[in-house]
Amino acid sequence: MMTFFEKQTNPLDQAHHMGNLMVDNMYTSGTAGKKFFTHLKENDTFLASRCKKCGTTFFPPRLYCEDCFIEIPEEDWKEVPAQGTVRLFTIATLNTFGEKLDEPKVIGMIDIEGTDGAMLGYIETDETNKDLIGSKVKAVLREKKDREGTVKDIRYFQVL
Amino acid sequence: MSDTKIEGQPGYAPGTHVSGRDIRDKKIPYTWWEVEAQYAYSLGPANARFLKELKEGKIIGRTCKKCDRVLVPPRMFCEWCYSPTNEWVYLKDTGTVETFSISYLDPDANRIEEPILVGVVSIDGASPKHGFMHYFGEMKPEELHIGMRVKAVWKPEEERTGSVRDIKYFKPLKDGGDE
Amino acid sequence: MNKVAVIGGGMTLFRRHLNETGKELSFLASKMALEEAGIQNSDIDMVVMGSAPCAFDGIHMKGENLLDGTGAKNKPYVRVFNGGGTGVFAPIAGWWHVASGVADVAMVVCEEKMGSCYPHPQTAFQTIWDPILDRPLTPNLVWLFAMEMNRYMTRHNIKKEDIAQVAVKNKRNAVGHPCAQLPDENITVEDVLNSEIMAWPVNLLDISPPSDGASALILCSEEKAKEFTDDPVFVDGVGWNIDSTMWTNRDLYFPDYVANAAKMAYKMAGIKDPRKEIDFAEPYDPFTYKELHHMEGLLLCDKGEAPVLTREGVTERDGDLPICPSGGLLGVGNPIAATMGQKVCELYWQLAGKAGKRQIPGDPQVGVGQAWGDIMQMGTVIVLRRG
Repeated sequence: MMTFFEKQTNPLDQAHHMGNLMVDNMYTSGTAGKKFFTHLKENDTFLASRCKKCGTTFFPPRLYCEDCFIEIPEEDWKEVPAQGTVRLFTIATLNTFGEKLDEPKVIGMIDIEGTDGAMLGYIETDETNKDLIGSKVKAVLREKKDREGTVKDIRYFQVL
Repeated sequence: MSDTKIEGQPGYAPGTHVSGRDIRDKKIPYTWWEVEAQYAYSLGPANARFLKELKEGKIIGRTCKKCDRVLVPPRMFCEWCYSPTNEWVYLKDTGTVETFSISYLDPDANRIEEPILVGVVSIDGASPKHGFMHYFGEMKPEELHIGMRVKAVWKPEEERTGSVRDIKYFKPLKDGGDE
Repeated sequence: MNKVAVIGGGMTLFRRHLNETGKELSFLASKMALEEAGIQNSDIDMVVMGSAPCAFDGIHMKGENLLDGTGAKNKPYVRVFNGGGTGVFAPIAGWWHVASGVADVAMVVCEEKMGSCYPHPQTAFQTIWDPILDRPLTPNLVWLFAMEMNRYMTRHNIKKEDIAQVAVKNKRNAVGHPCAQLPDENITVEDVLNSEIMAWPVNLLDISPPSDGASALILCSEEKAKEFTDDPVFVDGVGWNIDSTMWTNRDLYFPDYVANAAKMAYKMAGIKDPRKEIDFAEPYDPFTYKELHHMEGLLLCDKGEAPVLTREGVTERDGDLPICPSGGLLGVGNPIAATMGQKVCELYWQLAGKAGKRQIPGDPQVGVGQAWGDIMQMGTVIVLRRG
């Protein structure tokens, strides 16, 4: 068994090989996502989809109901305002790499009006000391000409 | 989506085809993401010694007394009998081509003009069929064949880093060489 | 052990890129399988998800991501994967759910979205190699196949035209498959031999394409099957076996691990002479020679004999031993795990007499499906029999 415990005293012997994952990813938005983002490029409202059987209104909209496991047809999609209520929030002071941010960022989970769903988003507010839970917020979108059909078209949510 | 009913199963073929052109022209919304993760792979004692010896211009293996086996690349345990291996043993830098390919593809599957000659070399002094993958050079593609005797061409000492790439490639062993 | 029946299958279109998300593809395949079985998702007790490396879809822990698309919300659910072996291993995992009695009805869903991976799925394949010993040489997976094919050809003195015949047969068989990515009814051996050389001895038409797609299969106990169908198909045997990653320390001309998996499955199925007792097979065919290599691994012929049988037409759909009547991976496409559609769903559809234009003549009774993966390591085998 000794071979497993040979001492490595030279740190060079403890060397490692570096590597990375090298791949990039292109995520198609899917059937529901394509409808949602195509709408968002031209409009300042959101789309949601409603399951006839259980009545759940999905946001972000889905092709199928995950509970009833049935397809949601075209006619059960509806337009909802791009606004909602803060369900949860946190204030981030560090970035992904653990470095201090110049300005703290408020990140929230927003219940979207007229739906049973929610989404993550940045929240813009002057009152960072305030408990934002329950606050009404409205999505601030990119200029229409700059929208590219991704979630980044929603710049942030403004506290009303 | 082609939902036309077809006789037999599968009775239809759900799905929406998107062409490469549709993606290039951004005809469909999509999200792009670049993976930034980096990895540091620990060598472990067997690889550390193997690579250190390569830096010295030598190929080293490990013996398994139980299986009467010489392993290369060396491992600290034998996966046949699942026991620790026993001793370090220097091998020759010559061997035999076990199989090969003449590749017109780079690692990302792009086409290349000058083919890469690559294959498996069983190393003299190791057990039969025991060796590793490497490149071939100083030969025409049509010369390369299974059973060919080859010898390692090393990078100049100062360029070696302790990597399998310290061997540049294997070249033909003209006189056949000894085993 | 409980006897396990197959009562439904489904698969999506296979294409280089599909717009649907992985969840949506899983849903569409599952929906078709439920429709065929004539049951609701609420009838499913447990779900098995099969999907190959996360790096293709680009979603780590993709089993969890895909979950709601498989109808498994708030149910016992597990993802299994062993590279290319997954397409047959996932239904094996589904089988043990039902055979053990923990589930009466289980759904198996397999999904792959290789189109997400840029610049090419091959880029992700680079990261399956040993990062210290192999990756510095920047290997391509096609190299690996090319080296194995070369070894197989050299050992048995096989000609490339005999191997090319596999692409011709499978791409022609795929013409009857609605999901097929590369069907071709006019393809010839010359087309294959004259196609671009990728990594000698592998030409472009020797290779199956990377694909997006999903497939689903519904398994249930014998008792439950009686409620749903008068004409069930049963899983008679399963086997799986794996060799080490030290592929440069062994001879590649014969896949012993496939033979080991086949023996395990045949023993369970009570098959003593596979050549006589098996009516047709769906061996894994990501490359042309792999079909032949795997016919031999499945003990359906002697070592080196598969190309001869192929040349003589024995493996055609109307031959004595039809091989890949679905059109295989070469004709229908290769969304890794989702090839369960060709390797297992097809066995079911053929045995149930539901394969439509692809139906094998003569009432087949026993079929074997097989998948293969990792670094030339994994063999997974399933035997289905008409009840």
